[in-house]
Amino acid sequence: MAFVDRVDPELAPVLELFPAELMTLIGDDPPAARALLAGLLEEMLKNMPPTDVTIEERGIPGADGEIPIVIYQPPTPVPRPGLLLMHGGGYIVGTAREDINGIGYAEHVGCTVVSVDYRLAPEHSYKEAIADCFAGLNWMVDNASELGVDPKRIAIGGGSAGGGLTAALALYSRDHAGPELAFQLLVYPMLDDRHETPSGYEVTHPNMWHRDVSLKAWKMYLGDERGSESVSPYAAPARAEDLSGLPPAYVIVGTEDLFRDEDIDYAQRLMAAGVPTELQVIPGMFHGGETFVPLAAVSQQMRQGYMDALKRAIG
Amino acid sequence: MTFLESLDPEVAHAIDAYPAERYIAVGEDPPRARAMTEAINSVMRANLPPTDVAIEEKTIPGPDCAIPLAIYRPPGSTTRGALLWLHGGGYIVGVERDDARCIEFAEVVGCVVVSVGYRLAPEYTYMAAISDSYAALNWLTGQADALGIEPGRIAIGGGSAGGGLAAGLALYNRDQGGPPLALQLLIYPMLDDLHDNPAGHAVTHPTIWNRDVSFKAWRMYLGAEYGTERVSPYAAAARATDLSGLPPAFVSVGTADLFRDDNIDYAQRLMAAGTPTQLQVYPGMFHGAEMLVPEAAQSLRMRRGYLDAVKRAIG
Repeated sequence: MAFVDRVDPELAPVLELFPAELMTLIGDDPPAARALLAGLLEEMLKNMPPTDVTIEERGIPGADGEIPIVIYQPPTPVPRPGLLLMHGGGYIVGTAREDINGIGYAEHVGCTVVSVDYRLAPEHSYKEAIADCFAGLNWMVDNASELGVDPKRIAIGGGSAGGGLTAALALYSRDHAGPELAFQLLVYPMLDDRHETPSGYEVTHPNMWHRDVSLKAWKMYLGDERGSESVSPYAAPARAEDLSGLPPAYVIVGTEDLFRDEDIDYAQRLMAAGVPTELQVIPGMFHGGETFVPLAAVSQQMRQGYMDALKRAIG
Repeated sequence: MTFLESLDPEVAHAIDAYPAERYIAVGEDPPRARAMTEAINSVMRANLPPTDVAIEEKTIPGPDCAIPLAIYRPPGSTTRGALLWLHGGGYIVGVERDDARCIEFAEVVGCVVVSVGYRLAPEYTYMAAISDSYAALNWLTGQADALGIEPGRIAIGGGSAGGGLAAGLALYNRDQGGPPLALQLLIYPMLDDLHDNPAGHAVTHPTIWNRDVSFKAWRMYLGAEYGTERVSPYAAAARATDLSGLPPAFVSVGTADLFRDDNIDYAQRLMAAGTPTQLQVYPGMFHGAEMLVPEAAQSLRMRRGYLDAVKRAIG
């Protein structure tokens, strides 16, 4: 069965609306991809519905200089639960102004969201990205009372590369005696640099996140380690051998996502390691499909799935 | 983390609700196990809330002998979808009067439920169960007009052994050119006779469906094929090498279930074969917990998950 025939009928039309150019640029010309996305982002921000969530951009101290963050605050009583959000973008593009999720989680869960502008590849490798996220996490915990956050109810989460960074941060925080985490929310996470699975070969459609662009992104993010046996689990969590002692996890992915099998495998390994883990796999959904066709039934099911999961965990 | 610590706190207390003796009897003294199961079921039936669903018992001609059915009909005379229900019981125990489940499907989905009293092991091996279920499916489609059923809205499903039988029936029906099916509902299905994975080794607790009783049940169900390389996929669907061309699937299982990894692997293979498949794995749920502790939050979510799936497919 052809890939396009497997995509949910409500989502299939948008496959052709995406510019294939974007994926090509991410792999071949990151600055141009970022410029293209900046234009799209500006349009999207203008079209966001009104919200009671306040949005503040600021900087926090990091190991190598200031780290920009965005704070989303709902108008709910304190102390609130908190979410440290890692944005998506293949580790190559994207910014902390991921309003659709920052506002979305703040509204649905009633939590404070701190979104981290971690450093991107190819200018930087995974080491800088994970260092920035860990700094963001520690800052959030240290400043919990100023933020109105209950330090016992802090989750980490994100989609795509942000989901991969979330899984990596959970490992890193465990191994470096970091703060106790209530939850890790892994939305179609980018976890494995090899893509040696059925879905890792199936998904080659040029208009969405596919095998070729993903391998190029990993190459930039891992630097010399790509494809070797020494890839760090803090870069590609699927490489971790020990998944015990991690915070409770929620993993969601679509069946037509490049990451389907690596995400299912990772969830299965978390379960075997005794980590309380929920797994949801949504039929006919491609990578990020729920953000592009938000009103499709499968999109609503997916978004409701991860929004409710966070609410159950920390809300 | 121990097995007991991995259970959802709201359902953990019920793990020893029934004596270990019950599963020992399933493995060693099936007639006694059937009597014990019927005693439990009759108490459960007596305690069910009143319902508008009409229940009719009847027999239909089968390939070798008459097949008992229980037919559950919601009130009203509109044309409906239908669910062919296959009860659980390890292929050894259980009867078609699976009222708690069948009434819930009829009420929530608004469908006709036809529950099959298929022949059990060890008196009969798997082909008797498959033949009876297939005969009931053909009877159901043949009687669609008389039953007020729309032929395009027929699902098959079951829990535990019934889920395994549903998966086997989906394969058999495909290979025989049987009627088109809108859904195969696989609730923690018993579909792999090997249990050679982490969950298959981890779940040994004596008061729930465990590794030891499961192997004993498989031995009775498979007869001479047990332990060989030539186990039929109609008996153990995990043995099937071709999972393409099957009806859409919904697979639901808990992390503390013996079948967890069997079920995840099967769902993953269905996805790779292009069969539209939804997978839901619930943390801390043991085999059958959602019926044993029906009001626990996780039980409600699990039941809501599969009831909604049937509703979307045939409701």
